[in-house]
Amino acid sequence: MATEVETKAKIEAGRKVITGNYAVSYGAALSRAQVISAYPITPQTTIVELLADFCAEGILDAKFIKVESEHSAMASCIGASAAGARAFTATSAQGLALMHEVLHWAAGARLPIVLAEVNRAMAPPWSIWTDQNDSLAQRDTGWLQYYCESNQETLDTVIQAYKVAERVSLPTMLVLDAFFLSHTSEAVEIPEQALVDRYLPPYRPKFKLDIDDPRAFGGITMPGEYMEFRYKMERAMEEALEVAREADLEYRERFGRGYGLVEPYMLDGAEIALVTSGTVTSTSRLVIRELRAQGVPVGLLKIRLFRPFPTPEVRRYLSGVKKIAVIDRNIGFGQGGIFAQEVKSALYNYGLNGGPRPPLFGFIAGLGGRDITPELIKEIVEYTSTHDRPEEEIIWMGVK
Amino acid sequence: MGIKEQTRPDEPVTFAVEQEMPPLAVSVGTSLANKTGSWRYLRPIYDPKKPPCNHACPAGNDIQGFIALITKKRFREAWELLRETNPFPAITGRVCHHPCELECNRRQFDEPLSIRLLERLAADEGYREGFRKPVIEKRAERVAIVGSGPAGLSCAHFLALKGYGVTVFEAEREPGGMLRLGIPAYRLPREVLDREILLIEQLGVEIKTGVQVGQDIQLEELNGYDAIFLATGLSKSRGLKIPGIEAEGILHGLDLLKSINLGEQVELGKRVAIIGGGNTAMDAARVALRLGTQPTIVYRRTRAEMPAIPDEIEAAEEEGIRFNFLAAPVEVITADGRMRGVRLVKMELGEPDESGRRRPIPVEGSEFEMEFDNLILAIGEQPDLSFLPQGTALSEGRVDGKIFAGGDVATGAGTVVEAIASGHRAAETIHRYLQGLPEPPVQEPVVVPFERINTDYFDHRPRVHGPVLAVPERIRNFDEVELGFTREQGLLEAERCFSCGTCDQCDNCITYCPDVAISRDGDDYEVNYDYCKGCGICAQECPRGVIDLVEEER
Repeated sequence: MATEVETKAKIEAGRKVITGNYAVSYGAALSRAQVISAYPITPQTTIVELLADFCAEGILDAKFIKVESEHSAMASCIGASAAGARAFTATSAQGLALMHEVLHWAAGARLPIVLAEVNRAMAPPWSIWTDQNDSLAQRDTGWLQYYCESNQETLDTVIQAYKVAERVSLPTMLVLDAFFLSHTSEAVEIPEQALVDRYLPPYRPKFKLDIDDPRAFGGITMPGEYMEFRYKMERAMEEALEVAREADLEYRERFGRGYGLVEPYMLDGAEIALVTSGTVTSTSRLVIRELRAQGVPVGLLKIRLFRPFPTPEVRRYLSGVKKIAVIDRNIGFGQGGIFAQEVKSALYNYGLNGGPRPPLFGFIAGLGGRDITPELIKEIVEYTSTHDRPEEEIIWMGVK
Repeated sequence: MGIKEQTRPDEPVTFAVEQEMPPLAVSVGTSLANKTGSWRYLRPIYDPKKPPCNHACPAGNDIQGFIALITKKRFREAWELLRETNPFPAITGRVCHHPCELECNRRQFDEPLSIRLLERLAADEGYREGFRKPVIEKRAERVAIVGSGPAGLSCAHFLALKGYGVTVFEAEREPGGMLRLGIPAYRLPREVLDREILLIEQLGVEIKTGVQVGQDIQLEELNGYDAIFLATGLSKSRGLKIPGIEAEGILHGLDLLKSINLGEQVELGKRVAIIGGGNTAMDAARVALRLGTQPTIVYRRTRAEMPAIPDEIEAAEEEGIRFNFLAAPVEVITADGRMRGVRLVKMELGEPDESGRRRPIPVEGSEFEMEFDNLILAIGEQPDLSFLPQGTALSEGRVDGKIFAGGDVATGAGTVVEAIASGHRAAETIHRYLQGLPEPPVQEPVVVPFERINTDYFDHRPRVHGPVLAVPERIRNFDEVELGFTREQGLLEAERCFSCGTCDQCDNCITYCPDVAISRDGDDYEVNYDYCKGCGICAQECPRGVIDLVEEER
């Protein structure tokens, strides 16, 4: 339906200085989201504020549904998506937690909803600043998860997210750091609508609610069948890895920008690989440039797609290094940083088969929005290079 | 959908291999097999109700209906709808005391709709688009009507529409009764009055002016008619029995209005006192002001008890007319047969009297004097029944034989719209009398209370105010004070209507029905009770209280 709709005004293409949140809004508008439902929560609010403006001004031909909670916001998106519409929502922290039950429903019903999640630390104690525990707590709901580094990447990822989600019939979350991205302005290239339309054709679901052929969706399924639906979901997740690769390549061809599922930075000849996600990556790039100039053999692997986990890429890029230092802006209580666990898990059996299995240092830093400064990153590199193996499974950085 | 289908409805479907299964859990059979209507214990029904404005209108105007037509820019149809119950919408659109606005549910939300100005807009714009004369089948019977005020002409209009030959007898030289004699041009321009009377004449009604029944002809001479309707109004002013009342300089409010309205000259001094608190007092004061005097209204109660319509009181205040409340004249001070002033006594309010208002009681020893050049009495009007056999009392309806009565002469002092309504009722009564028809049963309507409006669907928006002439521009002449809505203002105001109790096909019920059990055919909705679970969401989400939930009986 999207391209057939003639909107009164158009999104103006070109270079614009906008916040990460606005980049999300532009991405959703350019993707011609047809139903937007959201409940405001700092630091997400301005995303849907701008989208509401777009709807009010006729720039975006979408139904904007105001709701009384995030649970309802996701429920509205589920209804809309089940009816065949392209649905969008955005939230943060407690809001995402409140959605938890319906996140499972969206994934189980195989609905390609896109959700922008602004990483905000979970309360209590109350915080509005960034860390990743809110999104990572939804790891096993069956949603794809992208972690974005810049405002430009955020806009581009919204569009890619719909492409991938609709191909594999799974919902997709794109994640951006509170304030470091959400409220920080950068120059962003806003692509032409026509170009986006060619990349992202209208959503044509295989199954949708149809009053002329009414069917029950998600009804009770006996033990004889339930497991197969889970099997299919997992297969779709696995398929998503290749679909996401292709989607990013096609994006690069059409728009001149691509990010990969992971992004190596100065890994050639590196003995230590930092593993990062989100905005810590940008700071780390700076540190690595400086340290490499001083002869310290350190490089970086940014993980952009977290679910499905890009195990082949991770294995490939980390197989040549001597040590791995993972910076986690999150804490999986009782086991340590979640990215560290994921990387370990990706490498464990690889090692059994004779692949390299370098020591992995798991650093926890920057929780609740605390700055991860270049100095802190240098300390991480210093610790890693001066230790053969980590002294503890969890290395806390900057704890008073 | 390309999914493996059930072979027998009671047989569960199993799959041999995972590839046969759809990607998501979707039923293999149609969900129509599950008749969820069997769960229902409440049944939604579409039951349109009466909006409070319609109910409050003495004439029974379909207010919601005509406003809905305005929102669709169908001004002529809005006008025609009004004319089904009121032949004078351009007049009531200017002078009505609008009890509809008092009852408007919107009052409890922000401000009531400006119904009177919308009526005026519909009438003026509708007329501009052209009068479509209805096709009338003539009848043999003829009806005489005495009095061409709003009651008489309203009766004439509705009888003429039914095909009766109607002749109206008017004592004055121009028709209209109190509409012409009592209401000044700054409230009701003469061309508007003439226009709406002419439309009645175009239905074939004959108006004989300058014929006073009881003087120029006798009532018995009308016996050749099949029915006679008496609507002579209240033409006699009530007097005041105080010393000096016969002095020069004292006149009745109604006489002042009549003279001015007929274009005659009236000489007044500078300082004019008007006694009374009704509409005649307000108009007399505002006319006196326009004649260059300094009028003071003297009223024995307070502003709250004044019987004049609030719009009129406010306009008088705006124009700078002075009010002297809680005072009553006890004597006219005279010199050489001419009044020089008035001795007044201060009043206080006691217990409520039969009118429900607190009774004014003179305060002993509180008398004071004020100098005035003129005293205008506007303390009420009475019927002139001299053309009837002595002792005849009139009440609304059939009086005797073929004689019927209505309007102020039968009901006592009322408003224009009440007289129009009375005339309409009389036309129906006379029609039934002439055709030997029974009285229709009275049905108590169900009126929509504010609580049935789902205000989530409405934005707060202030009432649109129509433009008026600025005070300095209007107090020197008789130009119309109110200028009425422009079309744009009218459309804006009409959109504020809740459309209480009347479906406007918003489709909310269809949108919100979780069972897709509601469908629309043209303007009508149908509930598929096979699937309606009776959840009541449709009734809840109806913005205007059309849908009721009734208990299911089974």
